[in-house]
Amino acid sequence: MGEDVRVTEVDIPFLLDLPPGAPPMVLPADAPMTEASVRLGKALFFDPQLSRDGSIACASCHFPDRAFSDTVPISKGIEGRLGMRNSPPLLNLAWHPAFFRDGGVPTLEQQAIAPIHDTQEMDFNIHFAAERVREKEPYARLSRLAYGRPLDAFLLTRALATYQRTLVSGWSRYDRFLQGDMDALSEAEQRGLALFNGPDLKCGTCHGGFDLSDHRYHNIGLYTLSPDPGRERISLVASDHGKFKTPTLRNIALTAPYMHDGTFATLEEVMDHFASGGQAAPNKSPLVAGFTISPEQRLDLIAFLHALTDERPLDQVH
Amino acid sequence: MVRMNSRELLWMGVMLLGLGACRKDVAMPDPIPMPEPIPVPNGTLRLKLVPEWEGQPLALYTEYRNYVDQRVNVELLKMYWGEVRLFNEPYEWALRDVVYFNLGNGPVSVDLVADSGMYSGFRARLGVPASLNAANPASYAASHPLSVNNGTYWTWATGYRFLMIEGRYDLDPQSTAPLIASYALHPGMEPCYLPMEFVPSEGIRIIAGTTTEVIVKVAVDRFFHSPTGNIDLATENAAHGNNLPLAIKLSENAVQSMSVE
Repeated sequence: MGEDVRVTEVDIPFLLDLPPGAPPMVLPADAPMTEASVRLGKALFFDPQLSRDGSIACASCHFPDRAFSDTVPISKGIEGRLGMRNSPPLLNLAWHPAFFRDGGVPTLEQQAIAPIHDTQEMDFNIHFAAERVREKEPYARLSRLAYGRPLDAFLLTRALATYQRTLVSGWSRYDRFLQGDMDALSEAEQRGLALFNGPDLKCGTCHGGFDLSDHRYHNIGLYTLSPDPGRERISLVASDHGKFKTPTLRNIALTAPYMHDGTFATLEEVMDHFASGGQAAPNKSPLVAGFTISPEQRLDLIAFLHALTDERPLDQVH
Repeated sequence: MVRMNSRELLWMGVMLLGLGACRKDVAMPDPIPMPEPIPVPNGTLRLKLVPEWEGQPLALYTEYRNYVDQRVNVELLKMYWGEVRLFNEPYEWALRDVVYFNLGNGPVSVDLVADSGMYSGFRARLGVPASLNAANPASYAASHPLSVNNGTYWTWATGYRFLMIEGRYDLDPQSTAPLIASYALHPGMEPCYLPMEFVPSEGIRIIAGTTTEVIVKVAVDRFFHSPTGNIDLATENAAHGNNLPLAIKLSENAVQSMSVE
């Protein structure tokens, strides 16, 4: 009678729904995927307070309904400042060996720092960003639950990375087809798939595996001399000039415009580029040699690419 | 099955006795306890970096003339030193993994704890050691040399700018207009991690309980010209990871520009 009953909130593991065929997800020891850490990361991801003037959130350039990519060739940061490259979709990041289109950042945690500090993006400081929101809700409660201490710069990177790891793609009609549902793809899409992996186009050579990317760096002949050094900026190797990480093709129908600089507005333009063999860059991948397909085959191929769109939202945090 | 006769058995007995005796002979005596290490009293090595332009104290935003009489100023000057250590050949004594100098407001000192003794000089590298360069800067407190608060972290390359010099210039020596065009030279990455060695004429004596100050003059004007390579601001005004030859040239010039009295 009259006992003082105290209810203590307890964090629990986040039950991430992984699609069939997904590789095991290995998490960093200092970034546990729990209900609180994921929700903390999501709150941060959508919060413009992480930018200097409070105008830009991660989600300002990574729209959930666009597979967390942007709709413009180059995203704008605070005060309308233009960034450097096209905002990539955010999906299946848990399996990426390196981040950014040139692979300059080895972990998702370190990646989280970049847009906050980039003067063309959020132009802020991760310590100041953490201080700004630390005492506010839901940050104070979620950080205490997830990590047992108030939010700081270190935890901010962990939480953002953890949330982004939950953005998993693998529920497209293509995936259902791979799992044995032969009705999942139309006849045209199946013809497109055959072309995609066939000996003439060999798209699957670079766009293979679960993520439909080899996560390697290629110069695909967008320019004879690329104005962007690409991978060379990181490796300091001249033969890496103009090479960029192979993008995933998952949800490709949602992520226009395409290429590292958003130079192609449509999948048709992308198709035309690869069919032409591209520009004669000295280190162009020999796989980009051009090909000839009929208008019908072109439609089949594009139909197949549309079948790579997930049938459910990437975001599992509700 | 091997059978031994009585003579062979006798010899074997003698051998066993001998072995036993040998074992006793080679038995190690009780170890003599090692003496407790005598702690070497610590002193302090104070490295004081003094930025100068042609022998005068450098002042930010002050207009100078460079080696080809172009008008130039300096608006930002920062650098890292890695693996700072005293030496007496063939030995070295590590003092600090990384030291950060923001030379924007004139001379800057850093105090390093060192064993007392006489040393030939000290060595360091211009930049940040690879292991620290790859670490996550969010791990560091705001006061740490590698904190992102110092504005030296290259987020896109997960590494630090080893040296940052920024300012403005005018290629026309006759002009009196304000300096408009800007330069920003930021060497970083492993090829720019260059060794430095400083040997004061009288060596460095560290005395327990006291501070030994070594003044390192940084001749900033010589960042732009040296016997090994001049920097032409007309065409070489930006190195931000996209111009490695320029970054290396500036790093080499910077290393050569520093000297001790």
